[in-house]
Amino acid sequence: MRTALFTAGLLAATTLALPAQADKLDDIIASGVLRCAVVLDFPPMGSRDENNNPIGFDVDYCNDLAAALGVTAEVVETTFPERIPALMSGSVDVAVASTSDTLERAKTVGFSIPYYSFENAVVANEKVEMATWEDMKGKVVGATAGTYEAIWLEGKVKDWGEGEFRPYQTQADVFLALSQGQLDATVATVEVSEANVKSGNFPGIKIVDKAPMVPDYVALITLREEYGLINYMNLFINQQVRTGRYNELYKKWVGEEEPASLIVDGVYR
Amino acid sequence: MFDTALTVNDLLLLARGAGMTLLVTAISVFFGTILGIVFGVFRYQVGPWWAAPLTFILDIFRSIPLLIQLVLANAFITTVLGFRISGFSVACGVLSLYTAAYCAEIVRGGIEAVPQTLRRAARSLGMTWGQDMTSVVLPLATRVALPSWIGLALGVMKDSALVYIVQVVELLKSTQILITRLQEPLFLLMICGLFYFLISFPIARFGGYLEKRWSND
Amino acid sequence: MFNYSFRWNQALNSLPEMLQGALVTMEIAILSMVIGISIALLLTLFRLSRNRVLSSIAATWVEIARNTPALFQIYMVHFGLGGFGIHLSPYLSLLIGIAFNNAGYLTENFRGALKAIPETQTRAARSLGMTPIQAFKNVIMPQMLRISFLPMTNQMVWAILMTSLGAVVAMNTDLYGVTSELNARTFRTFEFFAIAAVIFYVITKVITLSARLLAARLFRY
Repeated sequence: MRTALFTAGLLAATTLALPAQADKLDDIIASGVLRCAVVLDFPPMGSRDENNNPIGFDVDYCNDLAAALGVTAEVVETTFPERIPALMSGSVDVAVASTSDTLERAKTVGFSIPYYSFENAVVANEKVEMATWEDMKGKVVGATAGTYEAIWLEGKVKDWGEGEFRPYQTQADVFLALSQGQLDATVATVEVSEANVKSGNFPGIKIVDKAPMVPDYVALITLREEYGLINYMNLFINQQVRTGRYNELYKKWVGEEEPASLIVDGVYR
Repeated sequence: MFDTALTVNDLLLLARGAGMTLLVTAISVFFGTILGIVFGVFRYQVGPWWAAPLTFILDIFRSIPLLIQLVLANAFITTVLGFRISGFSVACGVLSLYTAAYCAEIVRGGIEAVPQTLRRAARSLGMTWGQDMTSVVLPLATRVALPSWIGLALGVMKDSALVYIVQVVELLKSTQILITRLQEPLFLLMICGLFYFLISFPIARFGGYLEKRWSND
Repeated sequence: MFNYSFRWNQALNSLPEMLQGALVTMEIAILSMVIGISIALLLTLFRLSRNRVLSSIAATWVEIARNTPALFQIYMVHFGLGGFGIHLSPYLSLLIGIAFNNAGYLTENFRGALKAIPETQTRAARSLGMTPIQAFKNVIMPQMLRISFLPMTNQMVWAILMTSLGAVVAMNTDLYGVTSELNARTFRTFEFFAIAAVIFYVITKVITLSARLLAARLFRY
C-alpha cells in the first residue's frame, strides 16, 4: 500500500503540474475534510491524552471550524518551526497552532483576526537568584525555536550584550534543560508555565515574573492569497466569541477566570 | 528510573514508530540498491569521462547533510512545484537516492576488485558480456561488496531517524511524542537507543563475520 | 514557470551570517577529528592490551558509536550528561557528540588497518629492545595512519555533515543552526537551504581536496 503510494508519487512527479487551483474554501467544502496543523507539545492548547490522541484548545477550535464548514477535521501534528512550511507545502489547509501575528510572517502567510491572546511568564531554575524579569540579563536563557517569545528573548539578549540565548527544538526540551539547570531561565506562556510547574515533571523550576511583552495575539493562518477562507475564518472567530463558545473552551482548557480580551484599544482591526 | 508511566498503548505507539523506521529503511535500501547497481555498473562500463555528470550528481548526495537534502527536496517538490505529495514519499525518494549514491561506489569497488585477467579469460571462453557479468563478476564482486553493503543498510536505518523533518512519525519522533506527554526523556530515549542497537548490532556482527570468513580464502 | 516567487535577494543578504556559520561548522568538524583521532588511538591501544577492562571499554565505545544514530548520541551528550549535573554548552555538546562518533568509527578503521601490518614487525621492534608503547608509536602507528588515511578523510566529511544535527541541542551558531534560524524568521525555506547546501558542498570538496594534497605530501615514498 505504502509502496503503491510511493510509486504513485514518483509517477505524479514525472507527469506535468496540476491545473490551477480553485478557491481553497471551495476545495475544503468539496473534499469534505479540513486539515489543521496543530502543535501538540503545547498544553493546554495542544497535547495528547493517554491514548496519544490529540486534545486541547486548538484541537477543539479546529473541530469547531470544521463543524461550521460542514466537513470533518483532520489534525496534523507539526512543531512550531514546521507549521508554516507545512502550510506552504499544502500538507495542511489551515494552521490552528497559536501562531503570533507578526508582520514578518504576514509576508508569507495570511492571518485571520486574533482568536486567543497569551501573556508570557519568566520561569527560572530554583537555584538561580531571580526576582524580576530583568534579572535574566547576563544569564543563560532559552526558548522554543521560532516562537514569538524566542524572537523577543533573543532580541533582549542581543540588547543586553551579555548572557547567552539557546533555541531548543521543542517546548519539552526547553523545560528539561531548565529543570536540569542547563538554562537559568526561559520565557513561556503563562498557561504552559503553570501547567509544567504544577505537573511536577520538571522539578526545581519556579515562575518568577510576567514578561513585559505586548500581549501575544495569536491567529489562524492559511495561504496569503486565500481571501475567501480568511474572510470566513474572521467571521468564525467573531461568532465563537459572540456565542460564548470561546469562554466555554477557555474554562474547559485554561481556567475559571475571564478569558483575555481580543480587542485592541484605540484602533480598527 | 524504572518507575514509569509508560502504558501498553504507548508501547504500541513506539512499535508503530519502529515499524515505520524499518519500512522507510526497507523501501529506501531496496530502491537504492537497484539504482546503485545500475549506476555503479554504468560508471564502470563507460569509464570516468563519460560517467562524470552522473558521478557529480551522486557526489552531491554524499556531500550535503541528509537533513538539508530532505528539507530542500520537500520544499522544492511541494512549495516550488506545488505538487501534493506525502512526507513519506519524499522521505523514501530522498533516502533511496542517498542510498544509491553510496551503493554505486560500493558496486564499482566490487567490480574493480575482480581481476581483469579473469574476465578476459571468461570472454575468451565465449561468454557474452551478460554471462561474464552474472556468472563471474557477480559472485566475486558480491564477496567484496556485501560487508560494505550491510554497513550501508545499517547506516541508512540510523539516518532514517532524520525523516521526522518531513512529518514522518518514525521511532525517534514517536519517542519524542511520548517524551512530551510523559516527560521522562532519558528513560524513553534509552529505550529508543536500545532498539536501534538491538537491530544494528547483530547485523553488523554478521557483516563482520562474513568479511572475516570471505577474506581468508 | 512556477507558482512560487523566489526571493533570492532576501536570502543572499544573509550570506555573510551564513558564511560565519560555515566557519563554526568547519571549526567543529576539525576539532572533533583531532579529538576523535586521539581517542581512537587510545582505544586501539586499549584493544591491543591484554587487560579485560580496558578492551571492553574500547569495545563498548565502538559498538555504541556505530550502532545508534548520531542524532541520538548528540542528544544524550547534552541531556543525558545534564541529568547527572554535567552541563555542556550547545557547542561543546555537539563537538563531544561528533568526537564520540568519530572515535568509534576510527577505532574500527584502525583495527582494519592493523590487520594489514604483519605482526612480525612488532616482534622485530620488541627484539630491538623497544617497549610495547615504543613499538606501537614508532613502527605500527605511522603505517596504520597511512593505511587508514582514506577512511579518515571520509570520516572528516561525515563530521562536517553531522554538524547539521546540532539543532537538537540548541546549537545556533553553525551553518545549519544559522540557516534554520533564518528560516524560522522568514520561512523562505527553499532559498535559505539551497544556499546552505551549496556552502556545505563547497566545504566538503575543499576538505577532501586538501586531504588529498596533504596525503600526497605526507606519504611520498
